[in-house]
Amino acid sequence: MSIGVYQPMAQSLLLAEAEQGGVAKLGINVPSLVAQVLNFTILLILLYLFAYKPITRMLDKRSEKIRESMEQAEKMKQQTIQAEEQIKAQLETARKEGQALIAQASQMGDKLKEEARKEARQEAEGLVARARSDIQRERDDAADALRREFADLAIRAAEKVISQSLDKESHRRLIDEVLTQAKTAKG
Amino acid sequence: MRKLGCSPLLLGLGIVIVLLLGISFINGAIGSKFVEVEAFKFLRVSQPHVSLATEPIIPLFGDHDANPLFSASITNTILAAWITIVVLVALFVLGTRKMKLVPKGLQNFAEFIVEALLNLVEGVAGKKNGRRFFPVIATIFLFVLFNAYLALFPGFGAITLREGVETKELLRAANTDINLPLALALVSFAFVEYWGATSVGFLRYLGKFFAFRNLLRGKPMGLIDVFVGLLELISELVRIVSFTFRLFGNMTAGEILFLIVFFLWAWGTALGVYGLEMLVGIVQALIFSLLTLVFAVVAVASHGHGEEGKEH
Repeated sequence: MSIGVYQPMAQSLLLAEAEQGGVAKLGINVPSLVAQVLNFTILLILLYLFAYKPITRMLDKRSEKIRESMEQAEKMKQQTIQAEEQIKAQLETARKEGQALIAQASQMGDKLKEEARKEARQEAEGLVARARSDIQRERDDAADALRREFADLAIRAAEKVISQSLDKESHRRLIDEVLTQAKTAKG
Repeated sequence: MRKLGCSPLLLGLGIVIVLLLGISFINGAIGSKFVEVEAFKFLRVSQPHVSLATEPIIPLFGDHDANPLFSASITNTILAAWITIVVLVALFVLGTRKMKLVPKGLQNFAEFIVEALLNLVEGVAGKKNGRRFFPVIATIFLFVLFNAYLALFPGFGAITLREGVETKELLRAANTDINLPLALALVSFAFVEYWGATSVGFLRYLGKFFAFRNLLRGKPMGLIDVFVGLLELISELVRIVSFTFRLFGNMTAGEILFLIVFFLWAWGTALGVYGLEMLVGIVQALIFSLLTLVFAVVAVASHGHGEEGKEH
């Protein structure tokens, strides 16, 4: 690694530079340059066709879709809120109707109950009255039957008295006795 | 220490790394001055041979030695550029083959790249102009980036062709051939001028550089306009040179740095340089594409102020 080794090389480099000029030393070469411009152009076209165009289209499509779906979601939200309000209103009316119905029904029930009670009372009263009249009649019948029996009894007693030939006094007393007896039995 | 002892895997890895560092140091240019180990000699990295010009692989016409400027051949950098093109196109063809609204796998990756670039370009140039500039800007970015990164793949420069005593690499990082940065710079220049001319009108755009209008109307102060126009013209043309040498210089310097570092101490320092080169690759791709974008934005901006001045 001595400097001596490099001296001829450096000299030749200088010579080459003098002969060919600095541009050639850098390696500038016209066909290469044209080739690289073509390379770039080809790459530009290929990437445009295979990368930029489809991908930017896809990106646009996606952002459009996202925008759309967000709008959709917003709309849906609005609709949901509306629907909720509607449902709430409907529920409210239904509740009111139900309450009215219940009130009506209970009123009607009260009325029915009242009517039933009245009817029952009337019927009971009728029954009681009939029973009383029945009892009255039966008692009257019984009283009649008793009186008839007493009369028979009195007649028989009289027959007996007559057969024993009682005096007038005791006759009367007997009859009276029988009559009072009958009366107390009746009373 | 206790933790290291508990993990045999980590310990083994550490030993391997230390061994690799040691062996590569012994075989490097620095280490071999201290110790010579015959057994490892086959691992020695040969002295780097740096050539700024690329090497022709398949000559087409013209003698390369006699006429280096016009002789045509398929060089190793053109091959590398083709590989880059094939890789890029394959990536996007596979990624966009069956496009779905809900992306998956490779489509996701392809979309991520395009979307990130598109957002960048639209952020700088606005929606309408961004869509117009985007294909060129993105292609510059991807081409430069993939040229740089593919060259970092292990084995990329390892295939050599032997020609007598000389060997030449079959593939060489495309960015390190000055023709590619120059081609990109020319393309960038051409597109910027085209966009500028179509946006503000061809004659008006030319009037920016050749501002003779006020001078012809007999206003002596029009000389300033002429001078400013010339300055604009020169700066426009100088961009080609600066674009070219920025990319070419950075990439070539990286390649040379690699060669030297591998020659000196193959393992110890190369890893750091590797990381650095990854960074340089993306930075250069960003610089090239974003500068083109900024120049394009400046070019399409209507020169309202200048027009007003001329109307008075």
